Amino acid sequence: MLPETAQCLKTAAPLFSQTVFLKDLRRLSTHGGAGASHLQARRHFGVSRCLAAKVPAERKPRERVEIPGLEMVTYGERMHYVPGLSKPVHPQWERDYKDPRYYRAPPAHEMPLCKDKPCYVYNQRTSALEGVRQALWLTKTKLICGLPPQLLSLAESPANQIPDQDERVQNAIKHARFWDTTEERPGKEKYSNTLLLNLLHLCATLQSSHPAIGRRIFAEKYSLAATWKRGEDLFQIRGQNGLLQNCMDPLPEVSGKQEVNDTADHVLETFYPVSPTIDLQKVNLYKEANCSGFRGDYPYPHAHTLYFLEGADPRCKLRPEQFRAKMFMFTFGNALVRAHNLYGPQPKRVLDRPITVQAVGTNGRIFQFMVFQLNTTDLSGDDGIKNQVWLDEDVELYDFAKVRPLIKKKQVKVPAGLAGYKPETFSKFLALYLHGAV
Amino acid sequence: MMAVSCLTRALRSLTLSQPALLCSQAVAQTKLGTQVTSTVGQCRGFLTTASLEQNRTFWKQREKYTTRPIGMKKTGGRDHSGRIRTHGIGGGHKQKYRWIDFQRLRYEPNREAQPFEEKVVEVRYDPCRSADIALVAGGNRKRWIIATENMQAGDVIKTSGIIGRMAVSANEGDAYPLGALPVGTLVNNLEIQPGRGSEYIRAAGTSGVLLRKVNGTAIIQLPSKQQVQVLETCMVTVGRVSNIDHNKRIIGKAGRNRWLGIRPSSGLWQRKGGWAGRKIKPLPPMKVYVNMPSISAK
Repeated sequence: MLPETAQCLKTAAPLFSQTVFLKDLRRLSTHGGAGASHLQARRHFGVSRCLAAKVPAERKPRERVEIPGLEMVTYGERMHYVPGLSKPVHPQWERDYKDPRYYRAPPAHEMPLCKDKPCYVYNQRTSALEGVRQALWLTKTKLICGLPPQLLSLAESPANQIPDQDERVQNAIKHARFWDTTEERPGKEKYSNTLLLNLLHLCATLQSSHPAIGRRIFAEKYSLAATWKRGEDLFQIRGQNGLLQNCMDPLPEVSGKQEVNDTADHVLETFYPVSPTIDLQKVNLYKEANCSGFRGDYPYPHAHTLYFLEGADPRCKLRPEQFRAKMFMFTFGNALVRAHNLYGPQPKRVLDRPITVQAVGTNGRIFQFMVFQLNTTDLSGDDGIKNQVWLDEDVELYDFAKVRPLIKKKQVKVPAGLAGYKPETFSKFLALYLHGAV
Repeated sequence: MMAVSCLTRALRSLTLSQPALLCSQAVAQTKLGTQVTSTVGQCRGFLTTASLEQNRTFWKQREKYTTRPIGMKKTGGRDHSGRIRTHGIGGGHKQKYRWIDFQRLRYEPNREAQPFEEKVVEVRYDPCRSADIALVAGGNRKRWIIATENMQAGDVIKTSGIIGRMAVSANEGDAYPLGALPVGTLVNNLEIQPGRGSEYIRAAGTSGVLLRKVNGTAIIQLPSKQQVQVLETCMVTVGRVSNIDHNKRIIGKAGRNRWLGIRPSSGLWQRKGGWAGRKIKPLPPMKVYVNMPSISAK
């Protein structure tokens, strides 16, 4: 071992000064075979910085000075770094073939759709600060609390009721809340969806007595685009939302000509100092599109009812007021697209046949009912005919559906199972469903 | 990821082959005998620590204002180099940062130089400061500001940058330049340089007093009774900062301070010095934040 290492040291001699070499050699000879490990121990750990000094502040990037007419001497030709010479600047390489993985979008102002005038976009995740009031202003609509009475009377008559209605509805609720899972209790997203489908299924059993129900179809995940002008600004509704029930025949209008003309006196509510465009997405890249999400020859062109679930999008939780505003805006959007398709994109002061679209929103217990009637597509000014909306908000279908009883101070406050079922809520649901089919 | 790259770097400097040839360990093994000594002299050593991504403040560096809470990372009082910058910080409940707009007179684009009003949407607790904060909406935007004492959801507050001939009668929560307010007004959120954003009198329950206005400047008494002189175009909010009972809360136990992220001070016995005991000293002289024009220049 010893002669071997000594030879190694000789080969490396130019690296060391003569004295160091001698010293090392002497040490090597004393320690014998442990020489290699000794050399290891002399390694410095972290020599680039001494250990106890103050940490220097973060370095600022050096300012590069560009002097016109002065050519920098770079180390580009040498192909390696040379201290003192500047770093070569190479032009950006562009591939001459198309590779979608490395596609880079051009800057926004160079895109063909870029426009100077901004557009305010309402999508399914917009949480409008002022809620329904803001939606009323944006769509120039008069709000009427409660559903129209002729609609409510639809579900009153026994001919329009399902046999064993209350019991079957309660079973539908129990199925959604208790029986639809192998776990302890289903989550909110699950049971609200199941409950809605159960109720729709119950309503569809009336098809034998009302054959017009068969002329409907459901659609999911259709994307809507509606554009309109309000005041000076341009607005759009974009996005996907809820479950849409389409129909072959249009819904009959809810209010007559006289009531429509009376809405001209209604004054829209403003909410100064907040602007109505707050929380809407302001974009300069947009296409002025009016699309219902279906082709022109779709056999079910008329939107009948939109069904919204509150917890459908887990990334976007809307508060009840904002949820109603979203329902409202999308109902309006569907009606507006239909009007544009029927009467052309030019705004009309009064539509010959108003367009009616309904909406139902639920979180699995509380229902929101809405009937919207589009009377005008001339939304620019604040005067003239307004649209109408009937809104019945926060209607409970039942009070409690508990898997375990609620016990406080050793007393059962709420027993397990379904409690406080309210049949009138389902009759409202049924009335909206039967509207147009009776 | 960082640890792995650090480790590979360390191992690379430990290998005994030439840096260019360190493809396989076998090469290093065979050449061990011949190259032991040649590398020893050139050894650069290696760092045993990684740079601390933890203590970087990327979460702070945003261009666009947002009212959404921003996730923060705890530093434990360490700076970017990993050393203790501030003692007594560590642990505590996770907090989120809400970006306060301290520049109250921030006009909306296209609506410069005219007074504007905003509506208070919400007043709520903020974990990052002692005072409460308020979400205000006006025009096409929303922002967080520091709430004043009696601010409630639904209030309309005014902000104006105009100094009129008459002093205004301001309501609590309104923001005006110092020159527009009557002498003796209780103010908070004081700017010391116009347009810089408020820096003084922002803690819970504090307020300053506008003492007098002299020659284009205003003199304010801070909560510490020190007086400062600033330009009269500096913006202030009228009233007192919210959460006035902040100094009356009872921490109760040592653990509650830990929840707040405060660590106990050192237990080392230290001789009581000048810091202990009652001190009677005159008020410090008035601080002047005004570049007063010199007399010779006139």
